[in-house]
Amino acid sequence: MEYLLVTFPRPRRVKVDDEYNGSTGDVIELEAGSHVITLGPPANFKPSEQRIILKNTSELAPREIAFDLDT
Amino acid sequence: MISTRRGVSRLLLAVCLVLAGCAHYVVNDPLPPVRIAPAYRFNEAEALRNTNSLFVCLVFSGGGTRAAALSYGVLEKLRDTRIVWKGVEKSLLDEVDCISSISGGSFTAAYYGLFRERIFTEFRPRFLDVNVEGALLRRVANPGNWFRLASPYFSRIDLAAEYYHEEIFEEKRFQALADDGRRPFVILNATNLANGERFEFTQEQFDFLVSDLGTYPVARAVAASSAFPFLLSPVSLKNYPHPVTFELPKDYKEGLLDYDANRRRYYWARNRAIYVNDKELPYLHLMDGGLADNIGLRPIESAYRRSSGFIRKLINDGAVEKFVLLIVNARPDGGDTISKDESPPGLSVVAVKTATIAMDNYSVETIEVMKELRDMRVRAQQNIAACRRLLAQCPNPPRVPGLAADIEPYVIEINFEAIPDPERRKYFLRLPTSFALSRDQVDALVRIGPALLDEAPDFKELMESLKNP
Repeated sequence: MEYLLVTFPRPRRVKVDDEYNGSTGDVIELEAGSHVITLGPPANFKPSEQRIILKNTSELAPREIAFDLDT
Repeated sequence: MISTRRGVSRLLLAVCLVLAGCAHYVVNDPLPPVRIAPAYRFNEAEALRNTNSLFVCLVFSGGGTRAAALSYGVLEKLRDTRIVWKGVEKSLLDEVDCISSISGGSFTAAYYGLFRERIFTEFRPRFLDVNVEGALLRRVANPGNWFRLASPYFSRIDLAAEYYHEEIFEEKRFQALADDGRRPFVILNATNLANGERFEFTQEQFDFLVSDLGTYPVARAVAASSAFPFLLSPVSLKNYPHPVTFELPKDYKEGLLDYDANRRRYYWARNRAIYVNDKELPYLHLMDGGLADNIGLRPIESAYRRSSGFIRKLINDGAVEKFVLLIVNARPDGGDTISKDESPPGLSVVAVKTATIAMDNYSVETIEVMKELRDMRVRAQQNIAACRRLLAQCPNPPRVPGLAADIEPYVIEINFEAIPDPERRKYFLRLPTSFALSRDQVDALVRIGPALLDEAPDFKELMESLKNP
């Protein structure tokens, strides 16, 4: 399995491939490969989604991606 | 006189041809334009008697009545195992969230899914203690069915499915399971004969056929799951034209990009995505689920791995505290009957071996893969905890992000190999794969399941942890 950490200034649910999978600030365990990451509503974040290829991560060194507040 | 006889013969022939021509297997329905009734999918909403925090999945292997009886005994044991979870006293059976099954195990899984506690009074007289093979042969011997069997669209498996539909499953369709809405989510598995891929009777799979599982008889899914090669013919399904608006779910779309990054995910996505090509594949033909996986574990592995998997989503949401996977493996071992002969085995032996060798090897492998996934999760939790402990000794330690929640995973397997007494072990390992076992054999199988479970180290550990939550 691979590991992902999504950050956003506020607590928010994380969507992976259109499905809710965990929350910002938690390490999310996922299968290796291509995934589309976005956040749950409200849509006040940017970018609107990020495509990543998850590989060579570990629980202590997860892939980190950040979303910013879109004010 | 002669012309009268000829006339009668021609009339009879015409009637026969009409009767044969009329016989057709039950065709799955297309998706309705608007769906009002619930579809047969995993229900994420938890209930008081079935929490997400204690998440239990059962896996019932193939093996005819041997497998059905062994898994039935395990259900009895789970019903009789009292636990207290989150302050509520209940049976461990109340906490079962999903059941994945193959072949003989599918009879038990489907019956429990449809009729719940009724299984404990009805299943033995209705199925386990019945010579199902004899009943099927009687249907085949019935001249009324000969004309139907002459049709290219009706075969022995359709007669078997009719028997299961009328005599065992009370003519229930998948909508009955969907309407009930309670867990466990029962996944009946077959194999697509064209590509050897696992085919599960869930609406998620039927979406790829643009078909409605709700109206499909549960008995036909069980028949497909247990259609052993050579003895029975395949169950056929129609793959309906995909509307221009049809879109692959995102998990599949992304999987198709993973040829280099994750070959396992790529093939999983590709083997479902092929159904979109309905012009090339307007029909699919299903056989025994054991051809793809004779344990029934792969749907659970998939639900654990995939970002769209119902187990993965709950784990990533921190909803699961204990994840229990109980594999009821009725694998036989008839002994080596061919290596003592100088002459090579005959065609029938080779045919059976060809159909079962791959099944057995692959089945062992899937259990080991699941254990590796369990170990990987435990190691990840331990590493994060160890890192936090070390950093806690430093001034102003940085925050180490963790998984949403630690889970205690249990992978429990029961099989006949664990029976300590060699003679007794041999007795069970040599029980035939058939749908006609004696009452004594069924009794022994129903009793051995609970005994094996009581002795399984992981089950003991689970029971201990439930006593001290």
